[in-house]
Amino acid sequence: MSQKLLEVNNLTIKFGGVTALNDVSIHVSEGEIAALIGPNGAGKTTVFNVVTGYYAPTSGSFSLAGEELVGKRPHVIARNGLARTFQNIRLFGDMTALENVATAADGLNKSGLVGSLFGAPRSRRDEKISREKAESLLQFIGLEHRAGQLARNLPYGDQRRLEIARALALEPRVLLLDEPAAGFNPQEKVELGKLIRKIRDKGHAVLLIEHDMSLVMNVSDRVMVLDFGNKIADGKPKDIQNDQRVIDAYLGVTEHDS
Amino acid sequence: MPSLAKFNLRDRFGDWWDGSSPIQRAIFRVILIAIFFGLPFLNNPIIDTPNTSFESVLFYPLVMFAVMAVGLNVVVGKSGILDLGYVAFFAIGAYTQALFGLHTDLNFWIVLLLGMAFAMFAGILLGVPALRLRGDYLAIITLGFGEIVRIIAVNTESIGGAAGLTGIPSPPPIFGIEFSVQDVRPYYWLTLTLLLLILWGIIRLSHRKPGRAWEAIREDEDVAAFMGVETFKYKLWAFVIGGAIGGAAGVIYASQILSIEPALFTLNVSIMILACVVFGGMGNIWGVMFGAVLLGYLPEKLRFLSDIRILIFGVLMVVMMNLRPNGLIPRKKREVISEKIK
Amino acid sequence: MGATLDFSILVSEFASLTFDGIVVGAIYALVALGYTLVYGVLRLINFAHSEIFMIGTMACYAVTLALGISTDADPLVMSSFVLVFSLIIVIAGLASGASAVVLEFVAYRRLRKMKASRLSSLISAIGASFFLTELFRILTDSKNIAFPRLIDKEPIFVISSAYVTADKLFVIVGAALLFFILNRVINHSKLGLGIRAVSQDETTSVLMGVNVNRVVSLTFLIGGILAGAGSAFYMVFYETTKANVGFLVGVSAFTAAVLGGIGNVRGALVGSFALGLIQQYSSAVLGYNWRDVVTFVILVLVLLVKPTGLLGEALQRARV
Repeated sequence: MSQKLLEVNNLTIKFGGVTALNDVSIHVSEGEIAALIGPNGAGKTTVFNVVTGYYAPTSGSFSLAGEELVGKRPHVIARNGLARTFQNIRLFGDMTALENVATAADGLNKSGLVGSLFGAPRSRRDEKISREKAESLLQFIGLEHRAGQLARNLPYGDQRRLEIARALALEPRVLLLDEPAAGFNPQEKVELGKLIRKIRDKGHAVLLIEHDMSLVMNVSDRVMVLDFGNKIADGKPKDIQNDQRVIDAYLGVTEHDS
Repeated sequence: MPSLAKFNLRDRFGDWWDGSSPIQRAIFRVILIAIFFGLPFLNNPIIDTPNTSFESVLFYPLVMFAVMAVGLNVVVGKSGILDLGYVAFFAIGAYTQALFGLHTDLNFWIVLLLGMAFAMFAGILLGVPALRLRGDYLAIITLGFGEIVRIIAVNTESIGGAAGLTGIPSPPPIFGIEFSVQDVRPYYWLTLTLLLLILWGIIRLSHRKPGRAWEAIREDEDVAAFMGVETFKYKLWAFVIGGAIGGAAGVIYASQILSIEPALFTLNVSIMILACVVFGGMGNIWGVMFGAVLLGYLPEKLRFLSDIRILIFGVLMVVMMNLRPNGLIPRKKREVISEKIK
Repeated sequence: MGATLDFSILVSEFASLTFDGIVVGAIYALVALGYTLVYGVLRLINFAHSEIFMIGTMACYAVTLALGISTDADPLVMSSFVLVFSLIIVIAGLASGASAVVLEFVAYRRLRKMKASRLSSLISAIGASFFLTELFRILTDSKNIAFPRLIDKEPIFVISSAYVTADKLFVIVGAALLFFILNRVINHSKLGLGIRAVSQDETTSVLMGVNVNRVVSLTFLIGGILAGAGSAFYMVFYETTKANVGFLVGVSAFTAAVLGGIGNVRGALVGSFALGLIQQYSSAVLGYNWRDVVTFVILVLVLLVKPTGLLGEALQRARV
């Protein structure tokens, strides 16, 4: 049995009077592609926001490879192996594709400002590493021809993939993808599925929020379902599809093309 | 349209630059620098300014504004932090030169470093609490900071009070060139040299991790943090660097002007420098200097503009934000297919 | 340094300082409400609001000019005063209100449509603020404008060390009246409902059919009118103005709004009176010179320690 990487235990978060997440426990194991699904407003993105350190939980805990992460700041968590993409694309628009990825790659080195200014050997080495890593990641994702283009000028599909490349630059143990297929046509979704598997084979576990059920069923090893802040199911894709509680939760929501 | 024409010039220059060899670039740089050093020798009625000598204008406001605009650009343009109290750093540098020059025998260069150090310290003092706040609040606090520095200067008799300080010493001769009351040119050259050093440093940083970190912070601070950028540290660095630059400018300014008073360091100065950054293209270091030169020179040349200078700057800021938020020369980078490591 | 701590004045003049603090607080409150209302709907600090106030003071002066009341003239009888003052406050309110609406349209509206960054809006606001200040500086030739004494300032009665004069009473009563009217508008009118809706959730408000542009314009209008009214009280009380009067009054009013909790109407009131009192007390102890430093320090402290202010609720806005 593979090791649990991301463990979320009894996570509860309340905003004022609203309980966004209620005693949620989920996990992602090494080598796994897990999906987090549920109707809109179920709290899926909130989970991402909490485990990346953006919101502080009201109670509960979460850890990565055994290391407690509660209370740690976002950039610390990012450097410790948890990277994400965003539901609404949030690239650094006025920076080139290469720079977007390099910025994230920078996150892993300890070079400081003074070193960069005076050309210290470590800084020079780190700079080279960041750039080379960015280039190779762009190649991996198929965007090397866009390296010098501004992120906001890229076509939609490339922007989504750039976000993934950027997150990968942090060498995450678990990659969190928030609706990566939004706005994709069926062909693009198939390509995305292949990419996700490629990422997993490269050594990153993946936790995926998605609305497109065919993509989820095709690519995931395991599916977890949230509804109104509660986890209502956790199992293999086929089992989830036939789970009555899941069907009830989705009642009224037609399987639509995002 | 003028802006389109500039754009093409910029692109054409960019094309030439990308295709040129290191030697060609070096020669270009040397020639350009020589031109700027030679400006005081220009004696042409077309460029002359009515009330003050052209050389004097070259020193203040032109190269001084350019230095400060570059400094403020790191904070506002590159990192997206609105600082409305930048004049405070300038004042701290000036008062350092004044006080240490009048009461001690310290070497000018040491005082220069001290001025920068005090300004940097002030930057940390202000930055550590203020940078945790969101944009509008941060701006208000920086404004308050600038005003507080001035009010303290006015109210503190031991540093001159409202009347200020006089008899500030000039720098010692460099390479045989004397710094005297009559000749403003050495001060200009000194500041120009400072500007070149600053440019070297900032451009270097811009192409590396700090530059990327700053831009990411400006683009989307929350996401920058998610991508591992230590946002607080880099924001503080931007503040401190901006402060150091302002402080250095202040030291040299005081050494030239020989007497300073709090009334020289008002909010208006902060706004003028901000206008240069906004006008020239937030984040674009060349645009910012161009903005500084333009906004500094025109009111001197066209005297009627001088009285309504702030009025025009105000309008400019509103207009620029509404019509061309990226500045006259946008910070947009040239998009290339391949990137080279410098 | 330059400050000597003198607590004796604070003690001996306590009633006077307190009373004056309330008067000044009332004036601040009228201006602070403008900041807080606009912040509520736009989540933006209207930097140029201070100049809206200043324009009001200029309008007050203009009215006295038009009426031919010279600064040497004797104070008016109460009945004449009420008449004249009513005219002044209406004109000032309209002048400020109109200026505010124009300001919103010129400096903010387009940026709002473009969904421009916060930085852009701030810079535009600052540009507008400086433009207005300079405009009036040129118009007034950088001079202080003297305002005639419209009402006799002999003390009507005395409470301990406090000399209660007609103008101070007028400010307090007048301001109270305006707060009452405002309360009715905000809590019992359709416009007020719109303002509260947009303050809470703009997106839903749009979906519910609220015309956000109109609400924003009207919010600026109300804020402007209140500032104009405040300027009328200010002029009666202080009897002077100048082009950059907006700056210090604005900073105080803004600090008051933040102290009470920005976006919170009741907070603006609480903060204003609190600040008015603090300013009076600290002036007595530290000297008048340091009053503005004290104000700034309070601002910084509030923003660092409790940014939501005394009455503010914690804002939990999902940003991601």
